[in-house]
Amino acid sequence: MAYDPASLDKPFEILKAFDWGGDASAFQPIDAAVVAAHADPAARADLEKRLAGLLGGGTSRAAKEYVCRKLSLIGTAASVPSLAALLPEKEHSHMARFALERINAAEAAEALRKALGSVPGDLKIGMISSLAGRGDAASVPAIAALLSGESKTAVAAADALGRIHTPEACQALAAASSVTDKAAAAAISDARLACAESLLKQGKRAEAKAIYASLSEAAAAGTTPTAKATRLAAARGILACLDTTTTS
Amino acid sequence: MPVLARRHRGAIVLMWAVLACLSCGLRPAAAADATAPQDAVQMTIDFLAKDDQAFRAIGLDRVRYGLKGEAATMQFAGLLSKLAPARQLELTAALADRGDRAALPAMLALLQAAKEPAVRAAAINAVGSLGSGTEVAVLTTSLAAADPEKAAARRALTVLRGNDVSAQITEAAKSGEPGLRPTFIDILADRRAVTALPDLLTAAVDGDPSVRTAAMRALAKFGGSEQVAGMVQGVLKAAAGGERDEAERALVTVCTQNPGKERSAEVLLEQFKAADDSTKETLLTVLGRVGGNGALAIVDGLVADANVAKRKLGLTALMKWPDATVSQRLLDLLGTSQDPAERDQLLGSLIRIAPLPDNKLNDKQKLELLQKTMTLCTRDEDRRRVLERANAIRTIETLRFVVPYLDDPNLAEPACLSVVELAHHRNIRDANKDEFTKALDKVLGTTKNEELIERAERYKQGQTWERKKPAKS
Repeated sequence: MAYDPASLDKPFEILKAFDWGGDASAFQPIDAAVVAAHADPAARADLEKRLAGLLGGGTSRAAKEYVCRKLSLIGTAASVPSLAALLPEKEHSHMARFALERINAAEAAEALRKALGSVPGDLKIGMISSLAGRGDAASVPAIAALLSGESKTAVAAADALGRIHTPEACQALAAASSVTDKAAAAAISDARLACAESLLKQGKRAEAKAIYASLSEAAAAGTTPTAKATRLAAARGILACLDTTTTS
Repeated sequence: MPVLARRHRGAIVLMWAVLACLSCGLRPAAAADATAPQDAVQMTIDFLAKDDQAFRAIGLDRVRYGLKGEAATMQFAGLLSKLAPARQLELTAALADRGDRAALPAMLALLQAAKEPAVRAAAINAVGSLGSGTEVAVLTTSLAAADPEKAAARRALTVLRGNDVSAQITEAAKSGEPGLRPTFIDILADRRAVTALPDLLTAAVDGDPSVRTAAMRALAKFGGSEQVAGMVQGVLKAAAGGERDEAERALVTVCTQNPGKERSAEVLLEQFKAADDSTKETLLTVLGRVGGNGALAIVDGLVADANVAKRKLGLTALMKWPDATVSQRLLDLLGTSQDPAERDQLLGSLIRIAPLPDNKLNDKQKLELLQKTMTLCTRDEDRRRVLERANAIRTIETLRFVVPYLDDPNLAEPACLSVVELAHHRNIRDANKDEFTKALDKVLGTTKNEELIERAERYKQGQTWERKKPAKS
């Protein structure tokens, strides 16, 4: 079916003032246009422009959430400025990240990295999580710098580096093994295990084994359940590294 | 440790060493990773020796799925004789899962040396997983032991691999220890040993009733049209009563459920037609249970016969019918029969047949038949059976049929049961919520049965109810 911009005028008008609990069936034409736009670059660009245009003032929070969901499906670099503007806003930051995390454009990652340095407290944790979700190697230095900071942020940073698990991420985690915050230290151990698992899957047995051995040594004297769990995971990992008859 | 056992262990270790050398010498040029590194094997062995269960689990996991190769298998198996019984159990199970036959000598040695039944059972299980035809004899010996060894031996013989395994078990079923012959037959059935089918037919007419019963039970599992003639002989050979009934059910299963059931039913009919009168009399109930047009023509002829005995045989077959195709005949006969006992039987058959799930009627026709049957009932006892059977027809019309009987003190309880059973099915209940709520309220005000009260209350609130599983005998 050919894209007909005029047929969406009314749904877009209703969308502007939409609130949760309202009749969402009025946007069905927009849903259908989003699906159809995947095969029509011109329609996709037009639709993206109209959707991004609703992210400014005068649009309800529920409508902006709807728009973010749709942009996560068809958004490109063109939507990034509008979405990035929402990142510091407590009410909209989460859904803006939802879209930016999924948009396949370097500009989206760049916007998240930029926001990481500027947004406050809890919102920063969200940026870390979204950059990890994108597996963004370029954000490793910025995230690594947070490992020694406030506990919750440090935990999120460790988790993110484990998910990114590039050699630089693994090195940053190893360098942070002297962190004293208990929650952060546990998260760093978990993340290092994730790095080792990843290396083992890539067949880099020696590198993986070195991480497992380091973790095992660090947890050797510990009596807590976490220390024991680390020792067990490391022991299992070392054995898997030594076992060259099986692929991990 | 007895001298003999020590000597055996020494011999086994020597054999392992020889096998290891042989395997090294004979192994073709393989990838460098074909042999497990010794440091990994040793680390696994160290883990297996730990008191901490979690570390042992890591080692056992590696025994199961990692460190490939016979040399590692033999090192792990070599630990068995040095471990405490509880650890022997763990490692035996892991080596069985590993599936490397190189562990077999150690398992056989463990079976010979171990005193604890649980360890022996674990060793037997492992022999079943790793062994072949050579191990049939040792497992057969264990079959004579008490549980858990006996149960393990049965499982092991069922899963044992090898082209000659079924043949050896078949031989044991023919000429083995008399008390174990039925067990061997059960094992052949579980193995789906098609090569044993001729021997199972011979066993179906054996002089030993337990052997005959086991053979018919086995044939029911995987017999087909080629076995029907032999199974007919099994039915005829079976002693009247429980054994005959079980044999008949086996034959009915082959003719109504197994692959090629249509051809099997044809063969049964051919066998029946070719039989003498006495044999026909015995086979009529089987024919009735199998059903079908060919059988119906024969049964119709008998029912119409002036000879009272023949008519009775025909009626007996008709009453066993597996579907509702004979419902009109039963109704007609009920309309003409003067014999009270015969009328009771006919009515009972109608009540049984009307809601059968696999019959030829749709739900509306089933309910109409049941309603018509209700009008023919003259006793509350029969009406109660009609109401109880009604819930097998899961429609809202059935609820409407049952609800008026909630007001009849003599019929209220079976009506309550049927209302609750119908309400159990969420798709009917949710689609007719108001009607069900009213009916369930009425049940709550009528029944004294605590389970029905609990169920009715749950269904009213849109909750589920878990049917209690029957206790295992």
